[in-house]
Amino acid sequence: MQAVKNLQSVQMRPRKPAFRRAWLSWIGIVSVIALWQIVVWLRVYPEFIIPPPISVVERFWEALADGTLWLHTSTTVSQMLAGLLFGVVSAVILGTLIGKSRALEALLSPLIVAVQSTPVVAYAPLLVIWFGSGPTSKIVTSALIVFFPMLLNTMIGIRSVPVMMHDLMRSLHATRWQTFRMVEVPYALPVLLGGLKVSATLAVIGAVVGEFVMADAGLGRLINQARFSFDTPLVLVAVITLAAIARFMYGMISVLERRLLFWQRRQ
Amino acid sequence: MMRKAVMVLAAVVMIALGVTVTMAQETSDQTLFLTFVPNIQFSPFYVAIEKGYFAEAGFNVTIEHGDEPIGVDLIASGSRQFGIISGEQVIAARANGRPVVYVYQWFHQFPVAIVATENSGIESIADLAGRRVGLPGRFGASYSGLIATLSANGMTEGDLSLQEIGFNAPEVICIGGVEAAAVYVNNEPLQIQNRIDAGDCGSVTGIRVFPVSDYAAVVSNGLVTNEQTITENPELVGAMVGAIDQAVRDVLNNPAEAYLMSAAYVEGLPLSDDFRAWLEAESASASERGDASPLESVVYNQALRDALVDVSDRDAALQFEILLNTAALWANDPLGYTDPAAWETTAQTLITMGFLDEAPDLSGAFTNDFLPQIP
Repeated sequence: MQAVKNLQSVQMRPRKPAFRRAWLSWIGIVSVIALWQIVVWLRVYPEFIIPPPISVVERFWEALADGTLWLHTSTTVSQMLAGLLFGVVSAVILGTLIGKSRALEALLSPLIVAVQSTPVVAYAPLLVIWFGSGPTSKIVTSALIVFFPMLLNTMIGIRSVPVMMHDLMRSLHATRWQTFRMVEVPYALPVLLGGLKVSATLAVIGAVVGEFVMADAGLGRLINQARFSFDTPLVLVAVITLAAIARFMYGMISVLERRLLFWQRRQ
Repeated sequence: MMRKAVMVLAAVVMIALGVTVTMAQETSDQTLFLTFVPNIQFSPFYVAIEKGYFAEAGFNVTIEHGDEPIGVDLIASGSRQFGIISGEQVIAARANGRPVVYVYQWFHQFPVAIVATENSGIESIADLAGRRVGLPGRFGASYSGLIATLSANGMTEGDLSLQEIGFNAPEVICIGGVEAAAVYVNNEPLQIQNRIDAGDCGSVTGIRVFPVSDYAAVVSNGLVTNEQTITENPELVGAMVGAIDQAVRDVLNNPAEAYLMSAAYVEGLPLSDDFRAWLEAESASASERGDASPLESVVYNQALRDALVDVSDRDAALQFEILLNTAALWANDPLGYTDPAAWETTAQTLITMGFLDEAPDLSGAFTNDFLPQIP
């Protein structure tokens, strides 16, 4: 019986910090809302600039009930996911190739850095003209914005494999595929997942920037529409929804990270 | 004698100091909010700075450009006291608790039009039914202008295949993306026509323009302030309106001079030596002619537009023509007067657009009380 109790206490112990962290996150969110309400009470700004939290909540339920929020959120999420997929897949493929070839890096890096150093808002209008006002331009914007961090992390990951590991695989007469699968992927995975976390949040920005320029639907379009009709609570509803999507994506990739990198925790 | 001289000198010094202090007190820094980017269409504000109208009125004016909703919020919250905002934005803003007031109508004709390609066979607004029509987005002047035009013709946006194309109408029309588009009447039709003339507009051979003002009286851009400024400092509002009114009048009278003055404010405004000389000659002849009424000026400026055919610098000619087209939209007698009936039409348009649920109280939305011509 005592052994079972001991086992339970051992199992419970690691959960405590996570539980505490979750509470701290909520305390942080509640504090921001409390501060927001205090600013409203103190009338630092008129209510049309900073509306009270309750009116944002009311507007949230209205937008949810009439289907507006779902329409725009689903559009943004689908475009973001497509952009993330294209951006990540192409970056991982190219990042792997560049990670293995210095010549390819020398050839492509000026171009890649040039694209990355240009703010997305500068070229988003051009993408809309080139790819049309439909979802393609938003997917391309999203893919471009996630491409660089993912590419960089893939390169770093591939190059993080110690030389002795390559020597070992060669001594075992391993094929290229075996080396890639058994050594390079496991070594690259932690860095790669770090890049994926950043990319997932950036993908939201990419999709929304495209929607700001021109769109029939999406949270960026909803923000524009709400701004021009002076509906500040609806602007905040859309902004908070975007933040929630980004946080959800981050959380999902953290879960994926824990599952894929289980061996790290064992170590 | 000596004592008298000292007293006179002291009096002179005191008066001088007093004048200086008064002048220092009367000069206030004002940031004037404008939408879009520095552009020849904003020439009255550059002229008001260059000719010292703002300074005479006691203002040291800085111009800032930004998004219209941001401008409305800055003015409504008192961070800015003046800005150029469109009428429908004032109604929508007031309906959402923003105490902004429209005090001077700058554009007397709504600057939006529907432009359609000749190839499309669209010869009337009714012909737009079922066609692909572009607009920047479902917000702002283009959208309200389109809805007002459709309403006046017994149509709704559901009758069209509306496509949001941003501010890219010339490009999208020329590649055949849409058959018609809501555009700024003083600008995009000229750009499209120029492309057609240059053989750079795909299969488009010509355009038809349907100005919104032919179908509906919708309130356009004007000077906006807030209720607090009107209550606490009506002289300030009157002074600002007076300075802008004089500048608008000057641009109508002498657009060539306005173009020359605007060159310092609009980066990249084409101004070759030949065109500068042409403008200087036209400006001198306008000065000799003297002041004309705003509506007479439009007639004079038509002759100026015709003379542009001989100008070799086509980029500059296009920009100057945009100024002439724009100035024609400002002309009214009296300048600055805003028609209450147009506000009713605009409010009704906003209801049709779904931006308002019910007819708003328009009583505080606008005033003609500050116009220089109306006692």
